[in-house]
Amino acid sequence: MSITLDQVTKRYQGSPVVNDVSVEVGEGEFFVLLGPSGSGKSTLLRAIAGLTGVDHGRIALHGRDVTHVSARQRGVGLVFQNYALFRHMSVGDNIEFALRVRHMKAADRRARRKELLRLVALEGMDDRLPTQLSGGQQQRVAVARALAHKPQVLLLDEPFGALDAKIREELRRTIRQVQRELNITTVLVTHDQEEAFAMADRIGVMNLGRLLECGRPDELYARPATRFVATFLGAANLLLARQTANGIRFGATPVNARALEKIDSGREHEVVAVLRPEEVELAPTRDNLRVSYLGHGVIDEMVFTGAFERLRVRLADGAADAQIARPGGDGDGAAVLDVTRTQHEQRVFPLAVGQSVAMGVRRIHVLPTPLSSYTAVAADQPAADALVKNPLLVELANRMKTRIVARVEPGLANPSSGRPATPISGVAVIAPHQDAGAQTGRDVIAQIEWLLHNGAAEVLVLPDQLVPPQRVLIHWADDAARRATLAVAASLLRHVPAEAVYVGILPESAGETQRPAGMRTLLDARSEAQAVHGLEMRTELRFGAAADELHRQLSESPEQMLILGISALADLRARFAALFASSPGYPMMIVHRPASPTNP
Amino acid sequence: MAHGPSKALLAELASRPGRDTFVSTLIKGMFIALSLLFLAALLFAPLITVFATALSKGFEMYVESFADPDTLAAIRLTLITAAIVVPVNTVFGIAAAWAIAKFEFKGKSILITLIDLPIAVSPVISGLIYVLLFGMQGWFGLWLQEHDISIIFALPGIVLATMFVTFPYVARELIPLMQQLGNDEEEAAITLGAGGLMTFFHVTLPKIRWGLVYGVILCNARAMGEFGAVSVVSGHIRGLTTTMPLHVEILYNEYNFVGAFAVASLLTLLAVVTLIIKSLVEWRTGYSKR
Repeated sequence: MSITLDQVTKRYQGSPVVNDVSVEVGEGEFFVLLGPSGSGKSTLLRAIAGLTGVDHGRIALHGRDVTHVSARQRGVGLVFQNYALFRHMSVGDNIEFALRVRHMKAADRRARRKELLRLVALEGMDDRLPTQLSGGQQQRVAVARALAHKPQVLLLDEPFGALDAKIREELRRTIRQVQRELNITTVLVTHDQEEAFAMADRIGVMNLGRLLECGRPDELYARPATRFVATFLGAANLLLARQTANGIRFGATPVNARALEKIDSGREHEVVAVLRPEEVELAPTRDNLRVSYLGHGVIDEMVFTGAFERLRVRLADGAADAQIARPGGDGDGAAVLDVTRTQHEQRVFPLAVGQSVAMGVRRIHVLPTPLSSYTAVAADQPAADALVKNPLLVELANRMKTRIVARVEPGLANPSSGRPATPISGVAVIAPHQDAGAQTGRDVIAQIEWLLHNGAAEVLVLPDQLVPPQRVLIHWADDAARRATLAVAASLLRHVPAEAVYVGILPESAGETQRPAGMRTLLDARSEAQAVHGLEMRTELRFGAAADELHRQLSESPEQMLILGISALADLRARFAALFASSPGYPMMIVHRPASPTNP
Repeated sequence: MAHGPSKALLAELASRPGRDTFVSTLIKGMFIALSLLFLAALLFAPLITVFATALSKGFEMYVESFADPDTLAAIRLTLITAAIVVPVNTVFGIAAAWAIAKFEFKGKSILITLIDLPIAVSPVISGLIYVLLFGMQGWFGLWLQEHDISIIFALPGIVLATMFVTFPYVARELIPLMQQLGNDEEEAAITLGAGGLMTFFHVTLPKIRWGLVYGVILCNARAMGEFGAVSVVSGHIRGLTTTMPLHVEILYNEYNFVGAFAVASLLTLLAVVTLIIKSLVEWRTGYSKR
């Protein structure tokens, strides 16, 4: 591996700007770090160059650990956004700088300079001063200068940021050519996804200091794993759907689009579906569609952009209430889809604003995240309204770009009210008010059980007045719940800058013989979290009754949260009743996945 | 006619400053006249007087007045003081500007304020500080006397006082310049393998050289011309501790007008030369920016 980053963390004034980033970049690979401004990508690049120290983690170049090697000794080539050429030196002297530092003979320096100028197509410009060159030419010189000492790694920090579109294109091609010719491992930092697509062998998407996903551009675009990547790489319509045994269903409309990846168990549950604007097809009537029908809609907006036409279509039926979060942010009900059409499609079926159309979808991608949306459930309307406004819930939903739905279910408090009309979808959220339970004789555990019986797979128990957690404890009752619990934890922790701790608990009576097994479980859990979800997790091994031990830890300090996985409903009352004995002051996420023979 | 108004006409229209061009021209003329009047009264007239008085008894007398050993001593002392003060303050100025422009640290704003202090404080006070510290009745006075070290009424005192008064000049010139130029070139040099010294001499220094020259010129001018602070610490010992400005005063008080104004003319000449070099530097920096 050319560049190896292992759990690299950099903090500024206490808060992490680069948070537990681990990645490997192969020999000769062109790796692009993509992310919005402030995502920590430039800091990470500077850390690789050695200009910024790291607080934690390891950086290796070609197998040599350089974490504590100075920038001077690392031998990387770095190109800055604003060129950073030595303004008082000629182009030739700029390029030869690194060679003069290394006391190379004048004749050799001249030969190398000539070679480099040819490489960046600036032959004969040796004696110009940087100020006499255009921006694009200056950046070429900067690239040549960075390559002079034959660095093992070339790092480019937004190199096209200050250039206009035409020159940018040209320079991109030059840099890609140079990179191929020299077969030099390259890391480029950018916030421009088009640039990332155009240049990268592999893209790593960063947000809030975390490296969310890595992959080939086409793979990342077609199969993103997170909401952020889905919406940051190109445009995406995010819709809530239900996954059933026979495919995806939006509201009442079953859709059998092609290329639907099977995920999770066969159990029906809510998922987040990604519909790319170019995968949506419009037709006059449902019968004219050549692909799966999605619903009817009305054209809201049309923008001509040259090669493509961009439309916004308001859904009238079908998946009308399925939108997860509107890009425009306007509150009224119906979903609005972004659609793009080619010139050809425009000619075949010309459209006007206000026209009604049938919509179909060619391809749907389902995000593997288990947390799709939040449903605040309460026995009466005031309680539901209060719960929807819970600051922590609002914060979580905002960060996850998802929605909160309020539902009044008398059945929650009163078993005789029967089952809900439709199953509870998404993460069910309840408030742990003991008084509400006291009136009706149902405690929090019974409420959770009722929710899990009626469609919910995760229940979030949320007390009032909360700050976002700093520390998230993770525990599962038995191994069958491990996978689901880890997935929920990873999904949550992508949006909350908290520390994740897996607490393994052995019974007090556990002898020395059981210790190694306990340790192994811990390490397995940690490596699974890392490998499958990219989640860095600390581990702790404790002895005692699980519920007491967890309750003790959670009560020690505020700003903590628990994610508890169970596979048997009875366990909740049998083993974890202590957690619910008093009104808990911390949020708890209960993840329930019944053990099944197909999903051991 | 398909042709619109010519390009030149459009440009001319766009470049007109205000709506009422007659009044604005009038105001402009008035402001210029006012400034010239001020300059004539306060600058040109005294300047001419200096040279006129210096040469009033003929050129021979003018030249002869420089032959006076005390005058020569004053010139020598001034040059020695400047030769010590200017390099020291240059090093200090670069160090302070570097620290302020390149690093974040606690008390940075206090440091910036402190650097400005000598400009805010009256030079006489600056001189007095050293008298209070190193004078016979001062804090270290006794100790210094025991060890036979003289600071006040001697060269060290003059150097210290001058240094105090002139140390802001280089730093103040460099701080905004270095902040504006940023750190990228230095970082580029380091990634290319250059060490600290190489980076400083081959990247930083050339980058700031004109700002530095400008600061040094101002610092030098002030060091040679300083009167107040030096006057307090020098003791006015003729031929020993008088610098040029002090010597002018002594000669003047002795009604030796030709001598006083001859030395004054030398200082004036120095100021004029400084201004010319300053303008040249300004012209040069303006050129290099283009």
